Amino acid sequence: MSQEFSFVGKRIPPPDRAEKATGSAVYGADIKLPGMLVGKVLRSPHPHAKIMRIDTSKAENLPGVKAIITKDDVPKKAFNVTILPHYMLPPELRGDPLDQYVLNDKVRFIGDAVAAVAATNESIADKALELLDVEYEELPAVFDPIEAMKPDAPKIHDFSEDNVSVHLSFPFPTGDVEKGFQEADSIVDATFRAMNQDHCPLEPTVCVASFDTDGRLTVWSPCQIIHPAKKVIAYIFDIPEGKIRWLTPHIGGAFGAKQSLTAEPICIALARKAGKPVKLESTRAEELTAFESRERVIQNGKLGVKNDGTITALQTKVIADAGGYLTHSSVTTFINMRGFLHGAYRCPNTAAEADVVYTNTPIAGGMRGYGDSGGVFTMGQLIDMAAEKVGMDTVEFVLKNIKRAGDPSLVPFLTLEDSGLEDCIKLGAEKIGWKGKKAKKKEGVKRRGIGMACGAHNTTAYPVAVEHSSATIKLNPDGSANLVVGSCEMGQGILGSLVQIAAEGLGINAGDIHVIAGDTDITQFDAGSHASRSLYVMGNAVLEAAREAKGQLLERAGKTLGVPVEELDVKESRIYVKSAPEKGLPVAEVAQNAIYNFEGESLNISGRSSLEAKQLSPSFIAIFAEIEVDTETGKLKVLRIVIAADVGRAINPMTVEGQLEGAAIQGLGYALTEDFAFDKNTGVPISDSLESYKIPSTLDLPNIEVILVDRPVPSGPFGAKGAGEIGLVCVAPAIANAIYDAMGIRVKELPMMPERII
Amino acid sequence: MGKQISRFTVNGDPYEIILEPQMALIEVLRDQVGLTGTKCGCGTGSCGACTVLVDGKPILSCLTLAVTVKERNILTIEGLAEGSALHPIQRAFINNGAIQCGFCTPGMILTTKALLEKTPNPTREEVLMALSGNLCRCGGYVKIVDAVLAAAEIIREGGQT
Repeated sequence: MSQEFSFVGKRIPPPDRAEKATGSAVYGADIKLPGMLVGKVLRSPHPHAKIMRIDTSKAENLPGVKAIITKDDVPKKAFNVTILPHYMLPPELRGDPLDQYVLNDKVRFIGDAVAAVAATNESIADKALELLDVEYEELPAVFDPIEAMKPDAPKIHDFSEDNVSVHLSFPFPTGDVEKGFQEADSIVDATFRAMNQDHCPLEPTVCVASFDTDGRLTVWSPCQIIHPAKKVIAYIFDIPEGKIRWLTPHIGGAFGAKQSLTAEPICIALARKAGKPVKLESTRAEELTAFESRERVIQNGKLGVKNDGTITALQTKVIADAGGYLTHSSVTTFINMRGFLHGAYRCPNTAAEADVVYTNTPIAGGMRGYGDSGGVFTMGQLIDMAAEKVGMDTVEFVLKNIKRAGDPSLVPFLTLEDSGLEDCIKLGAEKIGWKGKKAKKKEGVKRRGIGMACGAHNTTAYPVAVEHSSATIKLNPDGSANLVVGSCEMGQGILGSLVQIAAEGLGINAGDIHVIAGDTDITQFDAGSHASRSLYVMGNAVLEAAREAKGQLLERAGKTLGVPVEELDVKESRIYVKSAPEKGLPVAEVAQNAIYNFEGESLNISGRSSLEAKQLSPSFIAIFAEIEVDTETGKLKVLRIVIAADVGRAINPMTVEGQLEGAAIQGLGYALTEDFAFDKNTGVPISDSLESYKIPSTLDLPNIEVILVDRPVPSGPFGAKGAGEIGLVCVAPAIANAIYDAMGIRVKELPMMPERII
Repeated sequence: MGKQISRFTVNGDPYEIILEPQMALIEVLRDQVGLTGTKCGCGTGSCGACTVLVDGKPILSCLTLAVTVKERNILTIEGLAEGSALHPIQRAFINNGAIQCGFCTPGMILTTKALLEKTPNPTREEVLMALSGNLCRCGGYVKIVDAVLAAAEIIREGGQT
């Protein structure tokens, strides 16, 4: 694109990187308040049990213990830790069961919270936990979703006879799927299994809560969606929303883990009872096993294809294992089905069904990619299998069937604004040397193979959820500006990108814009940083606010210069006459004279926007993987990953690459090493430490190359689309297809550990 | 041994600490010295976020008993910059996109410092090996490796560690 930008498209380090490099960035665990207590949670050793009695007397008598809470001390308000089902979905979509309380009367997985204490220091808090005397009535437990649906299975929630939390019939089927299969010359039908993946951010879950003497609650929590989270807390605790302030300290990684309530409800309950601030930090074991991870699925996929390679029908049936509580699993399963049927490929006949099932295992919900993980693992291999069936090369087959601009979008009654997927596939194939490597004969003990998978992911949750973002910007007397946004920086670089957009839209230097976020008292509403939405929606809000401020700036300057506004522009903090650029004024001068004004026309130049997404403009990706596998041991090394992505215009290519590379390595872990294991007979978590839950290290790093297809979309701010999630889910099927290429073995279960390959 | 007053040197400064025998160094640094730049990611020595340098060598402060490093020179992330002048490694991390959430960053930077002092011109493989004990969940390591190699070049040319 030939357009000249001063800040958009530049590799500018985001504003918070220096404080992170010097150790001065404050995270939740670093917060110290006067009189602050240490909170600890007692967690269930049983997978399924009634809590009959909790004797707190010994713990209460321990000096230094300031509060103890059990199920009798918490509000009787049912909720879902997933903030989404509360208020963010339209009323007609809010039918999912609200199946959690701050502390429940039953425990439904090992690690489920039973009680909590707050004490003056950590060792007293630990001792107090030991002194709590809990009487459980152990109940039979079930750890497999298919077993859980059988008539004689133990009932995990009273309202669910068959442990099915939600049954979903995908609401946007198209055509006639049975007819579509009849029209097919071949049908590919296979079932795949994907285990959980834990977000495993390096920062364990943490919360600090404090009530002041007026009953005003301040919460410090590294949450991704602070405005909606505040509303759910207000509901649970019956506190007027205006009396809650949510502050985000720096967030040490999230990936969806902090899109739900985590430590906050228990922390707030302790703070309320103690009348003192409480800090509740989780151990790594708790972070891994007590909070959400990505949902497990058993997914059947069926694809009908004609001999010429045209896909005629797509169908999927999903069994999603939610664990002990529903959390995100029904929404992610909906997204799974949506992406499977309407993601990357054209198909006139589609349908899907799903059961989201309770088991007595750790809760499973939303993680980066959000449901697409199981669906794309399934689809990515079905495509490879179908191509083989009709004797076509996979890349050729994919190019024949992918959606293009003007086709129905992720939601079929919307139209795809644009798609760069064809470019992604062609450029990626060329980069990795697809033709030559595919054609090579695979033999010997150590074999190399090559595979690819492609997909789409939503930018925003439009039209399913609230998509509202507001931004304000004000000019300071020195010509600098303060930008106030509700978006949440969790490492993705969003605040820097918003600054770049504001700088470009307003015409002042990016280095002169100070961004403020993470405070619900100051920031106006934002639906939060999830669904890859912030750059697109908040970016548009920031741009609109910046343009409003620019309009005021030019109006003032026009009066001073005696020139009509249409003849003026502003660039890099200087207002100038377009036809005679040497004639102009510094922004600082105009801004100052508007504030310190002696003509009776005082004004603090500013802009404000409150808008919502009006489009769903998905991003696209093609991932190519080259692997080497030892056919005797099943040990696999990923040699190369080529990532070719269409994320619209990259506002900051450096942070976009960082998102794609980081997501791809998480995808690598999901594919190969992150086995979220628990004992199939007892439900005891095996993956409760970083020794047993293996996330990739530098030794796992393949050669990674990123290709950004530059295709600005009309609806995005300077043409940008979302980039936060798209990089993850196509890695696993690309590797699986590479294994098939090398060995002729199709691995249908994640993670693809050596014993599953040979 | 009960509680004892012990002297520590952190970033060149003396501190008097009330020390209990079972205290880990990270607890002393974060809670008593009050330097919270050193992060705790796991408490079991698996993630490397708690890395500090003791006499120039990287150690895991969550697994190191404070009592064993009483007489040594401890460097935390807060001691790297000279006033407001960032160290070349810090600048390289910032400019190469090697920082996202920042939680692994202090440990990564200090491990890098120890590496470059020992090996001023490391190969990619040497960098990957040296950083293999520092987990990063956000960035996938690609830009961290770029930053380390860039820092190595800056230091070799500027002669400053």
